[in-house]
Amino acid sequence: MKFRGGHNILLQGRPDGMIKLMPEPELLYLPLRSRRFSFDEVCVEEDQQVNGGDALARDIDNYSVPLLAPRAGRVRLNEQEGHIVLEDVARLAERADIDDEDLPHIAQEMGASGIKRYRLLTLGAWQFFYDAYSGSLPDPLGSPQAIIVSTLTLEPFSARGDAQLQNRLLNFTRGLEQLQSLLEYQPIYLIMPDIKSEFANLIRNHIRGYASVKMVEIPLTYPYDDFSILARRLGLKRSGGPVWSVRTEGVLAVDRALTLSKPCLVRIISIGGTGVNYSTHISVMSGYPIQRIREKYIFEPASRVINGGILTGEQLGPDALGLDTECRGLTVLPELQEREFLGFIRPGWDRSCYAACYLSSLRAKFREHLSTGLHGEARPCVSCNFCEDVCPAGITPHLIHKYLYRDLIEEVEQARVDLCIECGLCSYVCPSKIDLRKQMMDSKVLIAKEKEEIRREQERQEELRKQEEARRQEEENSK
Amino acid sequence: MKGLLKIIEAIRPTFDEGGKLGILKPVFGALEHFFFAPSDTTLGPPHIRDPLDLKRLMSMVIISLVPTILAAIYFFGWRFLAMVIVSYAAGLTVEALFAMVRKEGINEGFFVTGILFPLIMPANVPLWMVALGVAFGVFIGKELFGGTGRNVFNPALVGRCFLALAYPRTMAASYMKPSHDLFGCLLFKWLPPGSVDAVTVASPLSAAKSSGEIGGTAHLFLGSVAGSVGETSALLIILGGVFLLLTRVGNWRTVVSILGSFIVLTGALLIGDAVSYERMPGVVGPVIWHLCAGGFLFGAFYMATDPVTGPSTNSGKWLYGIIIGCTTVLIRHFTGYVEGVTFAILLGNITAPILDEIVFKVRFRRLASEE
Repeated sequence: MKFRGGHNILLQGRPDGMIKLMPEPELLYLPLRSRRFSFDEVCVEEDQQVNGGDALARDIDNYSVPLLAPRAGRVRLNEQEGHIVLEDVARLAERADIDDEDLPHIAQEMGASGIKRYRLLTLGAWQFFYDAYSGSLPDPLGSPQAIIVSTLTLEPFSARGDAQLQNRLLNFTRGLEQLQSLLEYQPIYLIMPDIKSEFANLIRNHIRGYASVKMVEIPLTYPYDDFSILARRLGLKRSGGPVWSVRTEGVLAVDRALTLSKPCLVRIISIGGTGVNYSTHISVMSGYPIQRIREKYIFEPASRVINGGILTGEQLGPDALGLDTECRGLTVLPELQEREFLGFIRPGWDRSCYAACYLSSLRAKFREHLSTGLHGEARPCVSCNFCEDVCPAGITPHLIHKYLYRDLIEEVEQARVDLCIECGLCSYVCPSKIDLRKQMMDSKVLIAKEKEEIRREQERQEELRKQEEARRQEEENSK
Repeated sequence: MKGLLKIIEAIRPTFDEGGKLGILKPVFGALEHFFFAPSDTTLGPPHIRDPLDLKRLMSMVIISLVPTILAAIYFFGWRFLAMVIVSYAAGLTVEALFAMVRKEGINEGFFVTGILFPLIMPANVPLWMVALGVAFGVFIGKELFGGTGRNVFNPALVGRCFLALAYPRTMAASYMKPSHDLFGCLLFKWLPPGSVDAVTVASPLSAAKSSGEIGGTAHLFLGSVAGSVGETSALLIILGGVFLLLTRVGNWRTVVSILGSFIVLTGALLIGDAVSYERMPGVVGPVIWHLCAGGFLFGAFYMATDPVTGPSTNSGKWLYGIIIGCTTVLIRHFTGYVEGVTFAILLGNITAPILDEIVFKVRFRRLASEE
């Protein structure tokens, strides 16, 4: 598949390459839910003293991924709804590695390479892995057909790969070698913005001979860094097995877990957007109180704080107290409040537009001061086809919208809504302000439900048939 | 501005559900949102939206029509302004009535129809016919199909088609000689001088058809010929049309495909005419003359690029353009009608959904093979 569609939204407030340290917190609020995980099985008790790196809870549906305590502290379970609170947080020696008495047991169960994978899981590195097609957590014991390592983040704004790699190039290449040691012969694809740069050569020199890494250059257009787009681009078939995909922070975590046997507790996230006073990267641990970040970085009180990028991130409500374990960046957008007078006939020197309908298309590309405004009223679709032009997955959002309007679920499925990567560009460009992304997601759910129903129906029929047969058998026997 | 907003807020309760004038809510809403953009914000991801909305999209069409509108006044007098006002008034009435019945907002699509319609009328057409035509176009061509976004036919063309079939003689008699003064009719002339009595001027195409007489291409290019108000000046239409394509409001594929197929087929006919022993009936004039004559360019740039009534897929747009271009040539040369663009585009509108269907079928098959 060739790259198609895509569009870069240039938003003001791009994080710079620096990494700022945040002051150590006294309290940590660890959310029990994040985008992929819900840590329902709590493994600690009220008032228990834990060390940094201890598992506080596990997600049993996702291969028992642990929620690690980022620091030592005392556990409070019922203080906040949906959170585990750590009190008297202190930075003590971190708990390292698996207990020695467990080792022979695990080695017996999973083999030598099983220990490495077990380490990844328990030391919190596994949660950085994604299955390229489904986006879910892959099976740590499975064997992938390939690993995609991406150093890119094209969505405004998530933590930038180059910021994370600062002074840690050695760790990165060591991480790649560790990844290679998990594999037998499968390739590792390293996605780079420029494979001829000095930086790329440096990586090449470092890993020479230790890992079979293929460097792939992709254009810097959102959302070409999406893993399922990359997997399709690299020609990896869905039937060929899982494709593990991981970003820069994941490789660094792998290195930390496997080389140093230390848990990954501190992460680098970005803080950017139009509503912050200084866009940068900060080094924090999960559970860090959002209120403190707000106080330090956000100057507009009526701002929307988004967990993730502007296109796919979820809004953080007032009940979200701490950063979740999957947070890669905070984006802050001011809420629109004023009504614009005769907005639609303004020349628009300062607003850039996908369809070159404003004067700004005469000037060089610039970063725009955007807010959460919808910029218009919801209208019926006029088939302008912008959504199809911009779609990186090669499907037709407006057609699916119309099918959905007429309840034609089968046609929606035929139009391959399952290829949608939920990048949000269709919603962004739509001049009729239809929330196409949401409709795509809804229709996926609908199709899944429909399939589930059909499966159940079939099972029921099968059951009935069996009963019938058994009855007949009995009758015959009795005769 | 703040004062206006205050007034709007003050009278809002009157138009709300259950208010005294609750039935006029769509009209009030349209006026309110004309002056003040709504303060709605996004509800979930994506948290930002493109600043482009339908109002702006439609305004771009009107902006691209400005040179043509000015030329229309220059050539055919200030009466054209009266035609525009009548067209907007009549069309908006129909639109507003439907909005009230449906309890929906008034859609912006009409702003384009309302200006396009007078531009494809002869200059001296009675004003009641303008009103009738546009009301018919909006009612039958758009609202009965479900309103903006769901109509099959271009409403302006439906209106024109109706008038051409219902009042052929009045329509034909309403063509006028354009003004040839230095300032044209810009100095407050209601109609071009000396043309009021001299009605029934043949447009270049009908003159060519009836007598084989071919006027200068330069006149056609600049626009000083008889014809519908907005279609005479090829230069200005191309100017506005290219602007429309650059802003991506109109799709270049449709236009290129229409122009290309038109030029190729006309050229082929002319070559065939030149090499055959007997002259083919009705085949006259050079290609460039045909390109500039009549409403062909106007139709190609402004009517066929309407996204709602055309196909949405890119391959569909190529086919759509070929159908329109070729049909225009065939109608012009081989039928009793002098002008074929209206019918050709309406025919194209009919085929558009099928073209899309075919393209989608092929695409789905290709997508199905991809896992």
